[in-house]
Amino acid sequence: MHSTNERQNPAFYALLAALVVMSIAPIYLMLSTSFRLNVDVMSETSSLLFFPTLQNYETVLCNVLWYQLDHVDYCDPSFGRALGNSLIIALISTGITLVTGCMAAYALVRFRFMGRGTMSMTTLMMRMVPPAVLLVPVFGIWTFQYQLDGTYAGIIMVYVAMNLPFVIWILQSFIVQIPIQLEEAARIDGANAFQVFFLIVLPVIKPGLAAASIFTFRIAWNEFLIANALLDRNTRTVPVTIVNSLTEYDINWGVIMATGMLLAIPPIIFTFVASKQIITGMTAGAVKG
Amino acid sequence: MPNIRFDSVEKCYGTVKVLPPFDLDFEDSEFTVLVGPSGCGKSTTLRMLAGLEDVTSGEIYFDDKPISHLEPKDRDIAMVFQDYALYPHMNIAKNMSFALRLQKVQKKIIDEKVHRVAEMLGINELLNRKPGELSGGQRQRVAMGRALVRDASTFLFDEPLSNLDAKLRGKMRTELAEMRNTLDKNMVYVTHDQVEAMTLGDRIVVMANGLVQQEGTAEALFESPVNKFVAGFIGSPPTNFLEADLFEESGLLFARGEGFSLRLASALKDSLDTLSGRAVTLGIRPSVIKPGSEAPADSAQISLYVKLCEYLGAHKVIVTMCGLHEVMIESQSSARFETGVEAQFAIAPEDIMVFDKNTELRL
Repeated sequence: MHSTNERQNPAFYALLAALVVMSIAPIYLMLSTSFRLNVDVMSETSSLLFFPTLQNYETVLCNVLWYQLDHVDYCDPSFGRALGNSLIIALISTGITLVTGCMAAYALVRFRFMGRGTMSMTTLMMRMVPPAVLLVPVFGIWTFQYQLDGTYAGIIMVYVAMNLPFVIWILQSFIVQIPIQLEEAARIDGANAFQVFFLIVLPVIKPGLAAASIFTFRIAWNEFLIANALLDRNTRTVPVTIVNSLTEYDINWGVIMATGMLLAIPPIIFTFVASKQIITGMTAGAVKG
Repeated sequence: MPNIRFDSVEKCYGTVKVLPPFDLDFEDSEFTVLVGPSGCGKSTTLRMLAGLEDVTSGEIYFDDKPISHLEPKDRDIAMVFQDYALYPHMNIAKNMSFALRLQKVQKKIIDEKVHRVAEMLGINELLNRKPGELSGGQRQRVAMGRALVRDASTFLFDEPLSNLDAKLRGKMRTELAEMRNTLDKNMVYVTHDQVEAMTLGDRIVVMANGLVQQEGTAEALFESPVNKFVAGFIGSPPTNFLEADLFEESGLLFARGEGFSLRLASALKDSLDTLSGRAVTLGIRPSVIKPGSEAPADSAQISLYVKLCEYLGAHKVIVTMCGLHEVMIESQSSARFETGVEAQFAIAPEDIMVFDKNTELRL
């Protein structure tokens, strides 16, 4: 055991400081730029001194605000709409992935059926293929065969397929840890298969569900490549919209950074809420340790 | 309460036969203990009764109702598991009321039942805690309570005390014995501990290698075991076994082995008359070997080398050697023995159990 008040090497603190700066600086830059007008951002004398303004945020959210904006000639609805799209797509795909994933994981762990091992392995194979490889075929099939391009359903299906293997694997490892006696006790207590699953298994693997949901939500939230190919102007997500706003005529950094800040908030909230569920010792006290 | 009956029940895992077809009857409202070394099939038997394992062939009856195809929940049973199996995400009250809540019993009745059982087991103040916050003994009580709240007709116990320390186990054993007297239920109890079996069971079923060796009361098993296994398994310290050959001399039957020659009971003589020269195993309980000086004149004498004495308070265990075999003797702690020397001991001939060497059945 190390004593806690042991004196550390000053270099250690220097390293820590450097790491902190490296991780905080980009966020600080984004935050400060989002409060500046384009004039300030581009000015030669760009300094720490500027008049902070919420104008950029107002521009981004112009179509959802309840008051008229003086500084906006034309209210571009794409940012506000993109935020909504991102939320819908990320939440729904996370929901579907978790529901399907936990059932699949349970079946793979607890039921003995033909091809169980193979199936368990092939789910992982999905993840061995980089999304870029899938991009062209998915685009072709979604667009020409099923006309799913530009729809929520189309992109949600892709995200579910992308995240499912990981969710199944992470939940499998949680379900394996549940002592089988717990389920037997529940069966003796009169629970049917569904009640065992929903009343015993799911609550016990809550930490796993939380971890998996954070992961899935963030992937769906950040994904750019497939979203860029599949979605149209009405269903576009935030990452795509940001990139699309970098045009050859005008790059409004303040607005982009404001969008970036808004983009960062939902995953932060989601992670905080979900991580509350991750508590150690999920089966503590269930059986003799 | 229903009579439980196993009718040529068989259990195989794939091609491995773990339990050959066997019959077993459980009397009404009886505390039956299945006892045997690990791997003897006692837990499998219990789990088949609970519905957690399929029956390969044969049938289990509750009264005259076949139940082997029924789900556990339709069998009217409650079970206490070896490692408690408490639901970690529910508090104790929720754990205990889980079955009742599934049955959609009124909340008022549930509360009443939970409190009554909690009172009985002395876990009233734990009702709002989670299983993770309890000690082993408390968890065991809760597991017991969860079964009791059910009010099922049959209670199954799968080595419920084996995870407790020795002192707590003794205490819980006493409480279980008391509980048995107050509850009018069928109870089936699985254990590998013969002391638990002897103290708790109205009837004990001794199993080994998937076969029922003998069933009966504790006294019956101790006094007249049917084979070498039961003689060795029931009783502590265990029965001493000595290899010997039978021979007849002037109308009396003797067993001669390495370094000893013991006269056997005359009651045995008739059945052994023709068996002179046959190889047998003698079973001698540690408690029947007396110091030579105290023995009545007609008892069989044996000379044993005293290796060491284990003082256990109320009594003493003397470890002696008969040739290359260890022989344990139980005696009063006041008795004095000199170690490192040969001493004379005596055994009443009728206390010597004789088993066939090959079939291991009692002769």
